[in-house]
Amino acid sequence: VPPQTPRSLHCSAAAHNSESSLVPGPPEPRRKPIKALSPYEDLFRQAPGVERDKASFVRTVQNFGQHNVHKRGHVDFIYLALRKMREFGVERDLAVYNLLLDVFPKEVFRPRNVFQRIFVHYPRQQECGITVLEQMENNGVMPNKETEFLLIQIFGRKSYPMLKFLRMKLWLPRFKNISPFPVPRDLPQDPVDLAKLGLRRMEPDLSAKVTVYQMPLSKDWTGALDPTQPHIVGIQSPDQQAALARHNPARPVFVEGPFSLWLRNKCVYYHILRADLLPPEEREVEETPEEWNLYYPMQLDLEYARGGWDDYEFDIDEVEEGPVFAMCMAGAHDQATLAKWIQGLQETNPALAQIPVVFRLAGSTGELLTSSPGLEEPARPPPPEGQEEEDTVQRQQQGQS
Amino acid sequence: MALIYKLLNGTYILSKCPKRSTALHPFLGIHFADYCSSSLQKPEAAPGKASSQRKTEGGLQGHHQKEVAVDITSPEEKPEVSFDKAIRDEIKDHFRRLKDEIVNHWIGPEGRPLHEVLLEQAKVVWQFRGKEDLDKWVVTSDKTIGGRSEVFLKMGKNNQSALLYGTLSSEAPQDGESSRSGYCAMISRIPRGAFERKMSYDWSHFNTLYLRVRGDGRPWMVNIREDTDIIQRKNQMYSYFMFTRGGPYWQEIKIPFSKFFFSNQGRIRDVQSQLLLDKISSIGFTLADKVDGPFFLEIDFIGVFTDPAHTEEFAYENSPEISPRLFK
Repeated sequence: VPPQTPRSLHCSAAAHNSESSLVPGPPEPRRKPIKALSPYEDLFRQAPGVERDKASFVRTVQNFGQHNVHKRGHVDFIYLALRKMREFGVERDLAVYNLLLDVFPKEVFRPRNVFQRIFVHYPRQQECGITVLEQMENNGVMPNKETEFLLIQIFGRKSYPMLKFLRMKLWLPRFKNISPFPVPRDLPQDPVDLAKLGLRRMEPDLSAKVTVYQMPLSKDWTGALDPTQPHIVGIQSPDQQAALARHNPARPVFVEGPFSLWLRNKCVYYHILRADLLPPEEREVEETPEEWNLYYPMQLDLEYARGGWDDYEFDIDEVEEGPVFAMCMAGAHDQATLAKWIQGLQETNPALAQIPVVFRLAGSTGELLTSSPGLEEPARPPPPEGQEEEDTVQRQQQGQS
Repeated sequence: MALIYKLLNGTYILSKCPKRSTALHPFLGIHFADYCSSSLQKPEAAPGKASSQRKTEGGLQGHHQKEVAVDITSPEEKPEVSFDKAIRDEIKDHFRRLKDEIVNHWIGPEGRPLHEVLLEQAKVVWQFRGKEDLDKWVVTSDKTIGGRSEVFLKMGKNNQSALLYGTLSSEAPQDGESSRSGYCAMISRIPRGAFERKMSYDWSHFNTLYLRVRGDGRPWMVNIREDTDIIQRKNQMYSYFMFTRGGPYWQEIKIPFSKFFFSNQGRIRDVQSQLLLDKISSIGFTLADKVDGPFFLEIDFIGVFTDPAHTEEFAYENSPEISPRLFK
């Protein structure tokens, strides 16, 4: 049974003829609090076969204008349309916003004399116009000349929507490109591509190489392998490879994770392979090699300082943590998947075969873990040569510690 | 704090003012206005009075009416701490701080010799190396307006950094007037001098803010508040964005003070002016990026330094269309 929508007295019957042609849908499940349906909600309900997309939204908005010459209730209709934009997936489409602004009757709300200009002329409509522009701003849509012309036609040059438009034109370009680590608006849907994007973002070294150790199998795979195979994508830079090759096999390396990384509105999880800090006595002192090239210096140590009195260093010991050797993003966070990652890493880092690997996987996603000297569990003695032995010390952290 | 409380209640007993709530409340309102409800409690000199100083959800007024009705000089639960002794200790502490301030004024600004202050080019303002460093910060979320975000602050591993973590929820509270919600903030407490006077930071020799943080890729907003004694100034702040990279590496963020834009009551104003650095009250970090989910931010330290390569005075011009009165 189609719900009883409140009809205004002067509403033309033609506006609701779509209601009779609709197949009555199943009753909506009750939610608390029960919301009353807005007057034009049924205009947005599509026939069962029709998909909710830009074309149907545009059609609905145009239908409102056609059936309702005097455009009664346009404010309510516009508010409802703004709410429904997200369902139809058009909230970032400038043409749709211009079409929505087109619903306003033109030239009626412009102030004609000084008294109308002093007092906010047609405040409800101006508020509605401001709401449309505010939703554009929230979704990062930049208005264009057509929007400006529409606003002038509808509200006049000295109105509040026009003022908001000017402010948008001023501030949105100022903040458009301030992020030093921009993330594209349309994130890739493929998890492997998303992992590659995330790993490239996290690793500051541009010469790092991304390797896909395992691809997720397509859904219609009927082979012997497990169809729910997770993807494993890893990244390692040449400096990290060299550091891992130099690493002392007597000390273990840890696989820590999962840690969360947000890319716009998607959260991905990554694991890292790191070792502890060497105690001060074991740290190697870097030797400055002899200058073997007379044409240009091989090491250039340029500083900001203009003289001896310039000191731009902070008087604090920064937090030091152990070196990170590689990072990976995997579909599953269990030890078997990460073991496959380690095996894949061994191909490019043969030294990893001799080094014991300790898995420290947190039970839930929490903050980045580093070892504190008191809590570390000692790894078993290094394995016999030629064999890789994984010490499976899995410590379940309680919640967010 | 306990001293002021006793003085105020002393006035109540003396004057027997029937409208005690209105008499006390503005006084206390000014005093407590900058303490938001938080999950931390500041350690008090008199632990027995901590319960009366703590902010409850029910609001200041109801709480004080309950407290004032009880006999003030009732014996404490812990017999070894006496209220009067705590008062005396606190008075002595305040006078000592006053003496220090006067003596330090002779040595130089803030007790350091002038040549050191003038030549300084990098200064660590907040560091997180112990629990007492965490007490300088207050943590708020939109729970105060009825939302569902949670935020907590604790020391990170090895007591070497602070970790701000929680969950953001942009579900709007059903109070009929908010259509959007979802924010979490960490604000520094205003530095206090003797007798709880408000002091301020003087960063006029520096021109860049330096933060060593490790985030999870979310964009944060850094807000700087100036001297908040005047009531209009309480809602004004200068802000800019801080983009975290995510990942296991520590990130150094340098934000020049010329990039901060002015906002009042949460809205960017048309008339923009430079952030003046001589009376900074507090700094804060806000997360409000409309994405639901858990977040974390690890902070190593916060400092200010002079970037000699940065010569910009102010990054934003005023527009003659929006604010024509400036261009007459």
